[in-house]
Amino acid sequence: MAMVRQPLIFARLPTGVRRLLFALALFGVCFAFAFPVLWLILTSLRPESGVYYVHRGTEFTLGNFAEVLRDDRIVEAFVNSALISTLATFFSLLVTVSSGYMLSRFSGPASRAWFGTIYVFRCVPYISWVLPLYFVTQSWGIYDTYIGLLLPHIAVHICFFSWLMKGFFDGIDPSMEHAALIDGCTRWGAFIRVALPSAIPAISALAVLCWLFTWNEFLFALILTGNRVPVITVVMAQFVTEMGLRWNLMAATAVMALVPAFLLALFGQKYVIRGLRI
Amino acid sequence: MTPVPRPMFGEQQRFMLFLIAPAALLLALFQVLPIMIGANASFRDWALYNPKKTWVGLDHYRQVITDPAFLEVVLPNTFLFMVLSVAGALVLGLALALLLNRPFPGQKLVQTVLLVPLMVAPVIAAIMMRWMFNDQFGIVNVVLEGLGLEGQPWLVQRWSAFAIILLTDIWLWTPWFTLLLLAGLQSLPKEPFEAAAIDGTSAWRVFSHLTLPMLRPVIVVCVVIRAIDAFRTFDIVWTLTGGGPGRSTELFSLYAYVLAFLNLDLGRGSAAAIIGGLIILFVGVGLYRLVDRIAQSR
Repeated sequence: MAMVRQPLIFARLPTGVRRLLFALALFGVCFAFAFPVLWLILTSLRPESGVYYVHRGTEFTLGNFAEVLRDDRIVEAFVNSALISTLATFFSLLVTVSSGYMLSRFSGPASRAWFGTIYVFRCVPYISWVLPLYFVTQSWGIYDTYIGLLLPHIAVHICFFSWLMKGFFDGIDPSMEHAALIDGCTRWGAFIRVALPSAIPAISALAVLCWLFTWNEFLFALILTGNRVPVITVVMAQFVTEMGLRWNLMAATAVMALVPAFLLALFGQKYVIRGLRI
Repeated sequence: MTPVPRPMFGEQQRFMLFLIAPAALLLALFQVLPIMIGANASFRDWALYNPKKTWVGLDHYRQVITDPAFLEVVLPNTFLFMVLSVAGALVLGLALALLLNRPFPGQKLVQTVLLVPLMVAPVIAAIMMRWMFNDQFGIVNVVLEGLGLEGQPWLVQRWSAFAIILLTDIWLWTPWFTLLLLAGLQSLPKEPFEAAAIDGTSAWRVFSHLTLPMLRPVIVVCVVIRAIDAFRTFDIVWTLTGGGPGRSTELFSLYAYVLAFLNLDLGRGSAAAIIGGLIILFVGVGLYRLVDRIAQSR
């Protein structure tokens, strides 16, 4: 923890006042970041008649959630999103862990070339490859199917996650692997039995991140699916344009879409923070 | 790996190749190949309703870079958005990191609250803001009217709509900067700060001469990552304004999308997507050089 440093004006104030100001600032910060979500939750609990005056009135109901869950398309979208996020996380980690390991443990032209490739493709805007991916998935006959949505979701994280994984492996001392190699372990053995177990916290962090990113992703599904594979973000965006006036239902759907993410934030906080710290 | 006996030449190369093969294959199939196909389409007459696929050369590119909507609205919007959103989130995030960089009760709770925006899908964040800034029933206008001020039709005026898009993005990303900068602050050595405190250095000088230079590597990496991502922002613009009023809040990704899927001109949409890709590649390589130089000067 660095030293406590405060501007002079604050330093001259009595401790009590300083504490109060600090508490107020903290409260303000928390309020600013939590308010939109709290407001959404409040809206989702108001009946249709009360939704335009969320700040007034005292009727609350869970009916909005029940009504949303009666809509088959929304339920299907939740199931699809969960399925695709989970599968994408699994496969994405499978391919990026080894790629990150390669980047971290080897230097030389091959490693540098792969790193350069990853950096360049990390910079390419999604639209530049997802837009033509529309032709590709159509000509392969996987447009508007699970697999056609899943594969791009796996591919999209290759660059960023290989990079993150490299960082994680850089932080793990390779001397254990060297020892294993000298003891007659193969390179694969050293990677799978020695390096991987010590990377498990990092892999968990990436898994949480990957699941979240996929759950929250919008553009891919917008372009690569029609009506057969609804996912939750696309359904909500349609909702807002088509049924823009039914804010109570809109809010209920959004709150439900937030629940898995918040559970992750609450219980997987350690991993989320680790993953986000580049 | 250094002093390992190598029984067979090329064994290490094979191992390296196998490690990256699955990732490279996916990358080739789902990014490299589409980009090449997109490049091909961008030279052809490829309307979605009538794909003649005849060669038109650089026509699409010429049309895009002479399109007043692209030159006078989309490009300035995109760069303005990129700069303001990164700068806003950086300044706020740094301020918050400095505020939180001390022990206090409830630290864990504040941290959890700060994580909230990072969990929220951009689409949902945009929906929330759209609701809060709704011209008739939004809480912002209710509060303004309660204060005796006039409510605004926020999302149908160009600059207020643009400001709300910015606000949403800054709300989404400030906590990320805070988290990373806080981690950076906490890993700084204590001795220089103690020395400064003994010398009675003013808080501002400590910040500008010690904290900021020592945090620079973290700041630069954050800025590079965010700047590149801000350039391709799509979700929040689509959900908040759809590019409107008119086309005045369109950013580059939305512009390419509109050309391809609403104007049904995949050729021209692809050309726009490639132009944008080239621009950000240029910016990205420049930023990478910068990071490299800063990393070396350390």
